[in-house]
Formats: sequence, C-alpha cells, structure tokens
Amino acid sequence: MTEPTPGISEAVSVDRLRAGLKRRHARENRFRTYGLLAIAISLGFLLLLLGRIIEQGHTAFYAHTVTVPVYMDPARIDRSYPAGTNFEQLVAEQALARFGIENDDAGINATAMRGLFSTELKYRIADRLQRQPGLIGETLPIAAPMSDDADLYFKGEISRSTPALQRRLGDQQIDWLDRMNAEGAVSAHFNSALFTNGDSTEPELAGVAGAVVGSALMLLVTALIAIPLGVGAAVYLEEFAPRNRLSDMIEVNINNLAAVPSIVYGLLGLALFINWMHLPRSSPLVGGLVLALMALPTIIIATRSSLKAVPPSIREAALAMGASRTQTVFQHTLPLAMPGVMTGSIISMAHALGETAPLLLIGMVSFVPGIPTGIDQPTGALPSLIYIWENASERAFHERTAAAILVLLAFMIVMNAAAIVLRRRFERRW
Amino acid sequence: MNINVFRAADGGESGGDGVAAPADTRTAASRAMSVPQPRANGDDPVGPTKIAACEVSVSYGDKQALFDVSLDIPDKTVTALIGPSGCGKSTFLRTMNRMNDTIPGCRVTGRIDIDGEDINAKSVDPVLLRARVGMVFQKPNPFPKTIYENVAYGPRIHGLTSTKAELDEVVQVSLKRAGLWDEVADRLHSPGTGLSGGQQQRLVIARAIAVNPEVILMDEPCSALDPIATAKIEELIDELRERYCIVIVTHSMAQAARVSQRTAFFHMGRLVETGSTEDIFTNPRERRTLDYITGRFG
Repeated sequence: MTEPTPGISEAVSVDRLRAGLKRRHARENRFRTYGLLAIAISLGFLLLLLGRIIEQGHTAFYAHTVTVPVYMDPARIDRSYPAGTNFEQLVAEQALARFGIENDDAGINATAMRGLFSTELKYRIADRLQRQPGLIGETLPIAAPMSDDADLYFKGEISRSTPALQRRLGDQQIDWLDRMNAEGAVSAHFNSALFTNGDSTEPELAGVAGAVVGSALMLLVTALIAIPLGVGAAVYLEEFAPRNRLSDMIEVNINNLAAVPSIVYGLLGLALFINWMHLPRSSPLVGGLVLALMALPTIIIATRSSLKAVPPSIREAALAMGASRTQTVFQHTLPLAMPGVMTGSIISMAHALGETAPLLLIGMVSFVPGIPTGIDQPTGALPSLIYIWENASERAFHERTAAAILVLLAFMIVMNAAAIVLRRRFERRW
Repeated sequence: MNINVFRAADGGESGGDGVAAPADTRTAASRAMSVPQPRANGDDPVGPTKIAACEVSVSYGDKQALFDVSLDIPDKTVTALIGPSGCGKSTFLRTMNRMNDTIPGCRVTGRIDIDGEDINAKSVDPVLLRARVGMVFQKPNPFPKTIYENVAYGPRIHGLTSTKAELDEVVQVSLKRAGLWDEVADRLHSPGTGLSGGQQQRLVIARAIAVNPEVILMDEPCSALDPIATAKIEELIDELRERYCIVIVTHSMAQAARVSQRTAFFHMGRLVETGSTEDIFTNPRERRTLDYITGRFG
C-alpha cells in the first residue's frame, strides 16, 4: 500500500465540496422560488381584489338619462306655485298617452311608469318653471336621470330571462323601456352625481361627495392634532426625557396603545368627546379627534425610531459646536429624521382614513344627506359610507359600494403620492 | 534639563492621597503651572498652562473608565494623548468640553480648570464652554448642509457676527486657516458631505475654529484618512498651534511624535507618564510606556 498522496486527498475534498455545493445551490434556488411564489400569490390576490372591485364598480361611473317631451299643462300647474304640482304623475300620464295606454283607472300603469323616472325629474321641471314661468303651456324636452331599476336594466343587470316575480321591473315596464330606447330617448353618460352629490336614499342620486369632504375634514383634524403632538412627544421622550422607570413605563404603554383595537378608541371618543365635552356628534371634529388618539402611538413610535437612526456623530458635532440641546434637535436631528417622521405620519394617516370601527361609536355611520361645510357639521366618512351602502337593500347600491371603494383607494393613492412628494422634498435637504 | 509641565498622577506615585487632594495643593500646583514655561524641547515653545486637570475620575454607570488623572496642558502647544484602546484617553479628552455630560449614566469627579476657572462649576454653561473649547471627532462629521453653512453654523448660533459680510469674512478666514479655502472657494454652496474624507475633516476643523475657540480637542482626527490627507491635517495642526491650545488623541505613535510637543501616556484608565514628546519617545521613565511605544502591547 502506498500512502495517500496529497493529490488524492485534495481530489476527495474537492469532490465533497462539489457535492455540498450542489446542495447549497439547490437550497438557494429553492428559497428564491419560494420568494417568487410568495410575491406571485400576493400580487395575484391583489389583482383579484382590484379586478373584482373594478368589475363590480365600473358600471356605477356611468348612468342613463331619459329625455321626455313634457307638455306644461296649464290646467295642472298652479302658476303661483309651480313646485306644488305632481310632475311625476303628469309626466307618467303623458308618457302612457304617447304609448297609447289610456285605460288607467286604478293608476297602476301610471305608478309603474313613474317607477322608471328618478324623483330628480320633478325637481328639474319645477326648477325650470320657477326660473321661466312663461314656459307653462308649452311642450319642453326634459332630461332627467332614470330610476335605479331602469338604469340597471340598461346596464344588463336586470334581464327579461329572470322570472317576472324575481325582478324589480315588470314585463310591461321593460317593454316601455325598450320602446323609449328605440325612440332614442335614452342616453348613457358619465355619472357626475356620484361625485357631486351627498348620500341619498335614491341610488341614482346618491354620491360620495359628502363622505369625501367628511373624510378630508376628519383627516385634516387628525393631522393637525396627531402630527405635532406625536412628533413633539417623540422628540421629548427621545432627546430630553431622563431615562428612568417612569419613561420606561411610558414607552411600554405607548407600544401597547399602538396595539389597542380601534373600536376601543371609539368608546373612549364617545365617552370623552361626546358625553363629557358635548362636542357635536357625527362631526369631523370628533371623528378627527378619535382618529388622532389612534394615530398618536404609531406616529410617536415611528418618530422615535427615526430619531434614533440619526447618526450620533451629527448630534455630537452640534453639541460640540456649542449648540444647545434644543438647537441640536431642531436644527439637525429632527430635519434628518424628517423622512422617517413623514413616512410614519403618512402610514398612520392612511390607517386613519380607512378606519371604520371607531366611527361606528361616534355616530358617523348614520345617513347624512348633505355635504358638510365645517368640522362641526354632521357628516359621513368614506369607510362608513361604504358600510352603509353595502347594507342597503337597493340593488343599485351594490355597484356604488364598489365605486365608493375605488374612490377611497384613489383618495389613499393621492394622499400617499402627495406625501411621497413631500418626503422627497425633505430628503433633498440631506 | 526640563521643567516638567506635566505631573504624572500614576496610582503608585500619588499614592496615599486617594480620596481627594487638598484644595491648597491643587491651587498651588495650578499657580506654579501658570508661570510661562521655557522651551521644552528644541525650538518648540510651550505656553503657560491652559488646562489644569486634577484628580479627574470618570465612570460610566458601574464601570470606571478614568482614575484620578491629573494633568496640566500648556497653551499654544500640541499635547498628544496616547495609549492602547480603551485606556481612557478619549474619555479624558471629552471631560474638557463636558461632552461626557451628554452620555446618560456618566459621572465625572475631580476638577478641571481652564484659565483657572472650574469648568464643572454650576455657574459654567456647557454651551459657552463648548464655544471656547472646540472639538474634532474621529470620523469627519460635517453637517448635511453646504460648506458655507457648516462653517457659518457656530458664529450664527452664538451670534458672533451681525452682518452677512462679517459672516462671509469669518467663513473665509476659517476656511483659509483650515487650509481648505483654495479647494472649496468656488463651491461654498455645495454640500459639505460631498467633499473627500480629508477635506471633510478640514471642513470640520474650519467649523470648529470659526467660533474662535481657545482650545481645540481632536479625537483621533486622522484615523479615518489616507496618508496624504493625514499629512495635510498634521501640517494644519502644526500651523494651528500658534493660535490655539490643541489636545490630540492618537493611536499613531508616529503622529504623536510628528505633531506634538507634549505627550501623555494612558494605560488602563490611568495616566502613566507625561513629558515632552521627545523625552517620552526617547527616554521614557516607565516600563509600560517603553513597552507601548516599542509596540510590545497596544
């Protein structure tokens, strides 16, 4: 036997290395695959979610209008008070007459016809006559939204193939709609009511404007309270407060507060702001205050960690130059921490925007038709509007719910984009 | 023959007076130190005592970092503090502008006088003290602002100038003294962090001298720099010596030998030996000093 030469043992070890290497590479590839899979799955779900919402909601962005010739019958309209006229009945009867249906003893046909027009119709006519009383006695084409059911029929949501008892429109009504359509009286257009109106019990008149303004006012209150307070508290805790048992306890409790369920903040807001301070219920003021309480811990934690991340050399440099502690913080540390502070604030604001649970308890999930003009006015908010619409029985609110979700998402994207731009600007000050 | 400006306060030597030196001893020592000293070595003039430290101890929480250090530092001289890592030289440096105050749990005892005034006295505002005692750190730490703003920062916060022209003048003079003017004159308003490491360190020195301090403390100012940048800084230190009292902490024995006139050797939180740089490097009295400067430990 010869002794193993160094060459042989080298070859053996290289072989082993190779075998091991193969295993190691395989492990790495496997891990990469898992990562890609995870990303693909989450992207898939995101697309599914968005796709579903868009599929459900896109039809809410257009609506059908009908243009009908209306004879302003002087016999039916009181010249001194045109708005008192039952225009709905007037229009329905004239439409029936045009379709050659005279026999309407019990008014059943007229009621069915009225169901095709939105209540908006009578306001439009009354409005017109109020401004131009001279039009009484003439025949005018009046354009008005269709009722939600008629609109759904043209959108294909209601079809003849469904048994008549299971659909909201009778056979006769569908015949009339087809006839109007054939006459060219029906047209589709962008549903501007969705963006300019407040909430309404009539789906075709309901819009998100009230909720958008309400949410915006609420966020304004939240931002004005939570950001200065949160950043101030964080700066104090991080840069000035002595490290002792008390500050440790405060820190632990702030971390705990960040994890408190939001509905608890709602209860607190109800007890504190409404029952004790008697602030107006359902108002953006109270909503903003509650959301500010909720956002505070997040902002404090984010600000503290970004202050911690500022290199100590900068702090030392400023202190060694004879800057006071306050000067050091406000001229150096805080500006450098600003991008992090902004990120934390944005995340908590986005959270606040989508928060629904605390709003339930302070009366923001109530039907509020108007658009608020101040922070003390009753209002809804986007998430609570979505909740209300989702629970509504009218079929047409279904698509509007999805549309409202899209509006909420767009709101968030706009907010985040604005925040990113702001953050960039802060960052540019290196 | 030297008159020793430094007093070694090694545990063995100062022996029994453990707790605190009697006040009269201290003042006597300081008074003796404040008379102008003859040249210490060769043609390096040594000024009167600027800083007198007496029995200075520092502890961080339970850990004591510095034990009874007594050291007099002359004006218009470069004093090098050398010693192995963790020997307390940086800690001692930071007691002289009370930067240790900013570290929670740090406790300083003993007395440090600058121009005969106790800097730890209640009446002394650390903000004012730090305007008189500038500091340069190991890693160049310019503010993330323009070159101009970096230098103008000190005069601005201390309200030293009243007009823009005055401020411009201060910035220019400081940058010139720091030997940086020629390199940055045409880009004063570009970021200070965009300069090279050596330039940044000179910028930081310019920032420190812009408030016209009396003392400049340097904590290993060249350890993050390449040899060429180091040479420039050393040259600068040599020039600055004419105006300021400079204390420099360095790990480089060669640097201590090149730039300083006085050297103090620290070991394990104690001051082992002090003297003129020439003496320390050619004829140390202590065995540990010899071992360190010859590279046997450290």
